[in-house]
Amino acid sequence: MIRIFHNTSFDFIKWWRQAAIATVVFIVLGLASFLVTGGVNYSIEFTGGTLMQVRFDAAADAGALRSALEDAGVRGAEIQQYGGANEYTIRAQNSAQVAAQDTSATAVANTIRSALDAKFGAGKYVVERTEAVGPKVGQELSRGAALAMLLASLVTLAYLAMRFEWRFGVAAVLSTAHDVLVTLAFIKLTNVEVSLVIVGAILTLLGYSGNDTIIIFDRVRENLKKGRKEPLYDTLNRSINETLPRSILTHTTTLAATIALLLFAGDVLRPFALVMTFGVFVATFSSIYVASPLLLWIERTFPREPTGKGAVSRTAAMAESAAESGTRDTKPARRVPAGAR
Amino acid sequence: MSNLKYRLGLIAALLLASVWALFPRTVVERVNRAGGIALDTVRRVPLKRGLDLQGGMHLSLEVDESKQAVADKSDALDRALKVVRSRIDQFGVAEPVVQKVGTDRIIVELPGIDDPERARAVVEAQAFLQFQITDESQALEKALPRFDQIARSRGGVAAATTEAAPTDAAAPKVPDLFTKTDTAAKSDTTKADSGSVAGQLGGAGGVSKLIAPGSIPGEYLVANKDVPELERILQLPEIQAAMPPGRELLWGDTVSSGAAPFRTLYMVESRPIITGEYLEDAKPNQDPIQGTIVEFRFNNEGGRRFRSETGKNVQNYMAIVLDDKVMGQPPVIIQAIGARGQITMTGRPLQAAQDLALTLRAGSLPVPLKVAEVRQIGASLGQDSITKGALAMVIAVALVIAIMIGYYRFSGTLAVGALILFVIFTLAVLSSFNAVLTLPGLAGLVLSVGIAVDANVLIFERIREELDRGKTVRTAIDEGFKHAWSAIVDTSVATILTAAVLYQYGSGPVRGFAVTLIAGIAASLFCAVFVVKTFYLVWLSRTSNAQTLSI
Repeated sequence: MIRIFHNTSFDFIKWWRQAAIATVVFIVLGLASFLVTGGVNYSIEFTGGTLMQVRFDAAADAGALRSALEDAGVRGAEIQQYGGANEYTIRAQNSAQVAAQDTSATAVANTIRSALDAKFGAGKYVVERTEAVGPKVGQELSRGAALAMLLASLVTLAYLAMRFEWRFGVAAVLSTAHDVLVTLAFIKLTNVEVSLVIVGAILTLLGYSGNDTIIIFDRVRENLKKGRKEPLYDTLNRSINETLPRSILTHTTTLAATIALLLFAGDVLRPFALVMTFGVFVATFSSIYVASPLLLWIERTFPREPTGKGAVSRTAAMAESAAESGTRDTKPARRVPAGAR
Repeated sequence: MSNLKYRLGLIAALLLASVWALFPRTVVERVNRAGGIALDTVRRVPLKRGLDLQGGMHLSLEVDESKQAVADKSDALDRALKVVRSRIDQFGVAEPVVQKVGTDRIIVELPGIDDPERARAVVEAQAFLQFQITDESQALEKALPRFDQIARSRGGVAAATTEAAPTDAAAPKVPDLFTKTDTAAKSDTTKADSGSVAGQLGGAGGVSKLIAPGSIPGEYLVANKDVPELERILQLPEIQAAMPPGRELLWGDTVSSGAAPFRTLYMVESRPIITGEYLEDAKPNQDPIQGTIVEFRFNNEGGRRFRSETGKNVQNYMAIVLDDKVMGQPPVIIQAIGARGQITMTGRPLQAAQDLALTLRAGSLPVPLKVAEVRQIGASLGQDSITKGALAMVIAVALVIAIMIGYYRFSGTLAVGALILFVIFTLAVLSSFNAVLTLPGLAGLVLSVGIAVDANVLIFERIREELDRGKTVRTAIDEGFKHAWSAIVDTSVATILTAAVLYQYGSGPVRGFAVTLIAGIAASLFCAVFVVKTFYLVWLSRTSNAQTLSI
């Protein structure tokens, strides 16, 4: 049988400082970019406005398209080539145009159509796609999306708190919060347009990353029950190593799916696939380098009561020293089973 | 062994049921038609494609309260819903969806509409009929200087260069209005010409240059090519604010007499004397003098009200306003009018009158509706999405199969068998819940193929661990499933909870994604745990004393 990363004993947690610095730098970069260039790039669904995808029979010039729109009073629309030389997307998303859609969402779309009719001739082009959203709908959707994110996190927290003890739950949820920040930074830095589908991708990413954390924590819980006399630091490393083949394999199959989507599923789904591909890496990273060190930290700050599970409470105490001096030279000493000392 | 038989029986039964659910067939279904439930024979498609995949139009409509507040919006929408539905039914689209969402919105979905303009016109045609008295107080003339000022100040940079001139130039224009007669319409176009040029420079000429008085009080004429410019100016919030109180401007017909066509514009009293709410019947007709007309009749209450209101307005002109557009030239009220009247549609074919009568009859909306959201996808774009999505699906499945078999060999093959069942089951679950397959749903499906094997991976890794501890094959398999169970349940439940939240608060396509995810997880739980376990049991029962397991 083929085995990858079988019976490994990597000291993953050792690198938590470096990992923390890397992720904090990434997040700070993302947030700084928020300050410099403003918020993320929201789609029509959230801002309101009109998006039209138009395919001309003959190759059309973006300049001619722009002047036709400007003449009709649709100013500052974003015009992008889409696919071939005769296909364009038109985004009219600025506040004036959104306001014009308050009376009827179709207002701007109709103006664009008549402008194109006048300039290029009716029937000389096909409107492949229209999305026109009035300002009210946009506001409602933004609220709904924010609520969904919040609720999803709360529901996950409640479930984890129920299934695991609260220390695991808190560590898992804090690591979910980390995932949200990292993903936002990623979306901002790659300038992905945030649509409802992207909100869906973020939620799926959070779920997927949560799963990964659950798998490792499940193993930690099991290893703690076995009452091995070792610091939590080692239990965590052991659990991560034991679940490593599963992690590698599952992440590989998931990556196979997201990359297939990224490369073959077309432009509409590409942002979704991009965020999900990033999500696979976030999940791997955060369950090992965010959730696990957080659990260590929580155990150290709030040690367990020495009830019956003596071994567990001692692991907490030892974890403290381990977390403070997480270097390899102290390692061999801790490798010695507690009973032998 | 009987245990094994039951397991195999269950899998076979589910597979049969799934294939049955996925097989296209003709069924008799209860359908909601025009308010009533009827039995109908329909061709049942296994998985209905969403509008984003088959092309079509999605509209969401809400009550337009810009003119007057509506007390009970939910109730008004319920009544409007019936009207919209009967119109859509007459429109003749296959499987349209017309439903109320929440308390303040109506969703209309028209699959496969390749002429979005016509569909939009039918749904948007509110057939909201109002009778409004035209303005007699020359309110527009009084407001014009102010309008000009606003248009000029909004003109921007270009206006600044001409700033000195317009104050002198615009002022004499207003008196011009009064001296002009109807016949001046033609000569006015030359003036309007210069007006529109100035307008392009930044609205410097202002509003008064674009408008000439018509033949009755409150009627004005605008050269056709100046219409977009004037429309834009009139939409400015400042202009809206400067509108004379209790008055509003409405567009009328395009009149193409003479060389240059022009459009009528009317200043009318905002308060309608009566609305289409009381309309009882409407039918098209041809009148030798007036041409195409639609005759209508009010009900008793409407007739009473109409009589008393027209009685108060004798000698005034009454604009018949359909969806904020004045139909024909407003007639003068000679005496109180009863329950009957007519709409003149000069120059329009009888077909147009038939359409109008039909919309008026089948549905003059009790409240004005406005389109809050439109999504329209061309059929070719939808087909393209399906093709690409399917390709991604095939590639994802192929890669996953290669990885699983390459890594787990025999056991991987079992997992792949389960994966194929997984895809069938997921589609069947979606189909039996009448779920609609959307583009994000397709993405969710592809993604779930990648994630679905996770449970198997967990189990296989556990079995390997047990084998490493020197357990027999049979025990290792048992223990492997047992130990992986808690992790599998926890991850599944956590994901289902997230998907449920997404379903609750998402809309349209994203709901499709959530449904696919939930169906995928449920099917994956069953396939990875139950089906693969059964496969192992079959294998164990056939190979007595299995010493090694290819995993």
